[in-house]
Amino acid sequence: MNGRKKKAGVPFAQAGEPVDAGGHLLKDERPGAVAIPGAADIPASRKTRTLAGDAWLRLRKNKLAIAGLVWLVFIAVMTISADLWVPEFFADPTSTEFEGLEPPSAAHPFGTDRIGRDVFSRVVYGARPSLSVGVLAVSISLVLGLIFGALSGYYGGLLDSFIMRTADVFFAFPYMLFTIALLAVLGPGLQNVFIAIGILGWPSIARVFRSSILSVKETEYVDAARAMGASDLRIMSRHILPNAIAPIIVYGTMSIGGAIITEAALSYLGMGVQAPTPSWGSMLSEAKALMTAAPWLTIWPGFAILTTVLSFVLMGDGMRDALDVKMKD
Amino acid sequence: MALLEVTNLKTHFTTRDGVVRAVDGVSFSVEEGHTLAIVGESGSGKSVTALSLMRLIPDPPGKIIDGSIILRGDDVLKMDASTVRAMRGDRIAMIFQDPMTSLNPVFRVGFQIGEALRIHKGLSRKDAAARAVEMLDLVGIPNPAERARDYPHQFSGGMRQRAMIAMALACDPDVLIADEPTTALDVTIQAQILELMIELQQRKGTAIIMITHDLGVVADMADDVMVMYAGKQVEYGSAHDVFYQPLHPYTWGLLDSLPRHDIDEKGTLLPIEGQPPSLIDVPSGCAFHPRCPYAQDRCVKESPELREITAGHQAACHFAGEDGFVRGEAVPVTGEVA
Repeated sequence: MNGRKKKAGVPFAQAGEPVDAGGHLLKDERPGAVAIPGAADIPASRKTRTLAGDAWLRLRKNKLAIAGLVWLVFIAVMTISADLWVPEFFADPTSTEFEGLEPPSAAHPFGTDRIGRDVFSRVVYGARPSLSVGVLAVSISLVLGLIFGALSGYYGGLLDSFIMRTADVFFAFPYMLFTIALLAVLGPGLQNVFIAIGILGWPSIARVFRSSILSVKETEYVDAARAMGASDLRIMSRHILPNAIAPIIVYGTMSIGGAIITEAALSYLGMGVQAPTPSWGSMLSEAKALMTAAPWLTIWPGFAILTTVLSFVLMGDGMRDALDVKMKD
Repeated sequence: MALLEVTNLKTHFTTRDGVVRAVDGVSFSVEEGHTLAIVGESGSGKSVTALSLMRLIPDPPGKIIDGSIILRGDDVLKMDASTVRAMRGDRIAMIFQDPMTSLNPVFRVGFQIGEALRIHKGLSRKDAAARAVEMLDLVGIPNPAERARDYPHQFSGGMRQRAMIAMALACDPDVLIADEPTTALDVTIQAQILELMIELQQRKGTAIIMITHDLGVVADMADDVMVMYAGKQVEYGSAHDVFYQPLHPYTWGLLDSLPRHDIDEKGTLLPIEGQPPSLIDVPSGCAFHPRCPYAQDRCVKESPELREITAGHQAACHFAGEDGFVRGEAVPVTGEVA
C-alpha cells in the first residue's frame, strides 16, 4: 500500500541526543533526511490542524483509493445529471422505440435490449437505485450499529448481553433468506429494500464497533482522560470513537459494496426495483436468458456493479490507512 | 489543617473469589508544596490508594467503603458525580506510569494538553492551544510551538512524560499524583523528569503524591514517606526518619534489598523472602509475619495497630521502639513460629 511507504520526514530529537536550539537532531544520518532550520519551513503536511485534513493528505497518496473515489464521483455525477443529457442524446431508459437486441453501435453505445430499450441509458439510470441503496441502507445500519455497539462496548454488563444476544438472533438466520422474508412482509420496492438491508446490517457493525471499543477502553489514555475530568460523552466521542472508528470505516465502505450486491440480487429475484425502472440487478435478471445471444446485456450492468463495488472496497482500504496517524510521513 | 487529609481509607473489591482488601484503613496527610511518597511492593495497594483519591475506582467491582478524603475542607467522598469530574484534572491531577500509552494517538500533543483547560477553565480552542505551547515550554520541550503540532508517536518517551506533566499541571492543581512516573523511562531520563517535577513543585507549590517502589526516587523527592504492605500502612513518617531510623522490619527489608555503592561494593543484596500475600486471604495477625524474620507468636495472633513511636513517626509493629529492635541489631527469631 502506498501509504505504508516511509517518506523522509522531519527529523525529531530523542531526549538525550544532541540537538540544536530548535530541537532538531544536529546530525541526522538517515538517508533523505532534511535538516529543517525553523518552524517557517515545516512542510505543509505538518501545518494542517485537523484529523480529517491530515487523513485527506495521506489518502491523496494512495492511488488505488483515489482511482476508486474518482470512479464513484464519475458514476454519481453521471447518474445525478442524467435527466439533463441522456434522454436528449441517447434515449429515455423506459422507451421501447428501438429495434430489439441491437449490438453496440454509435447510436446505442451499449446496444439495445430484448424489447428495444437503450442499454446505455438504462445503465446510467440504473446507478440511482444501486448507489442510493448502498449509501442509505448502510447509513441506517451505521446509525443503529454505532449506537448499539457503543452502548454495548462502553457500558458492558446486562445492557451488553441484551444487545449482543439480540444481534445473535439476527445472525442466526441466513442473510438472504431474512432479507427476502422481510421484503415479503414489507412488500417489494426500493424503499423497503433500504429498510430491510439497513435493519439487517446493524448487528455486524455493532459487533465490530463493540470489540474495537473494548480494546480502546482499556488503554491508559482513556484512564488519563477520565483523570482529567472528562465526561462520559467526551471520553466516548473524543477519546474512544476516533481510535475505535477505523475498522468501522473500512467495514462501512465495504458493506456499501455488499448492499449494492444485495440490491442487485433482490432486483434479480424481482423483489427490489420494479419494472420498468432500471436497476443493475434487474437488468441482469432480464438478460440471463440471452447471455450468449446478446452478451452486452449482461456485460455492461455486470461491469457497472463490479467496478462500483470494487471502488468502495478500495476506498475503504485507503481510508483505513489514511486514518492511522502513525502512517504519517 | 493540611491541604489533603485522608483518614481511615478503605477500598475493597468484590470478586468471585472473595473480597479483596486492596486498601484497608490508610490515613495520611499532605501539606502544600510537600511530597509524600507511597512505597511498597507490587500489589500493596499504592495505586488503588491513588485512584481512590480521584474517585477513579471502577465500581463495580471496587468500592470505597469507609474513610474520608478532605481536600481543602471538601470531602471528596461526599461529592456528587459532576463535582468529582470538576475536581479531577483541576484540583487533583494525575500522571500515569507509561507515557508511551497515556497520550491519545489520534490527537496532537498541544490539543491534548489544552483539553483540561477547555474542560475546566472554559478556554477557547485558540487560547487553550496558546496555553498548551506555554506549558510545553515550561516542561522543557524545545521549540514548543512546533512540537505542539506533533502527534504523540513523534515524541520520545521522555518527551511524552514531559508532555504528560504539562497536561497534568495545565490547570494548576493543588495535588499532583504521580503513579510510578519514571518506571517506564531509562535512567538518565528518570533523573531529568524528577528534577523537572521538583522544579515545577517549587515554582507552583503543588503537593505531590509519588507512588513508587524505587527508594532512590523517594530519597530524591519525598518529604514524607508512607510504607504500605498488604493494603495497610506499616510505617509513616518523614523521609529522614524512615531512611535513618526505620522502625518496621518490612522497611528494613526494603532498604536491605537496595544496592548501595557507598559501603561495601561486593556486599550481597538481601531480598525479602517470599511473596506479598493475597489480599483476599490476608495472613492472621500482622500480615507481614510469614515473611518477617523477627516474627513471634504474638505476631500470628494479634494485628499490630499503627502507633506513634517517636514524634511524627508511626509504625505498625508490636516491637517497634523496643530497645535493641533496630535495623541491623535486632536478632532474627530462629525455629518455627507456633
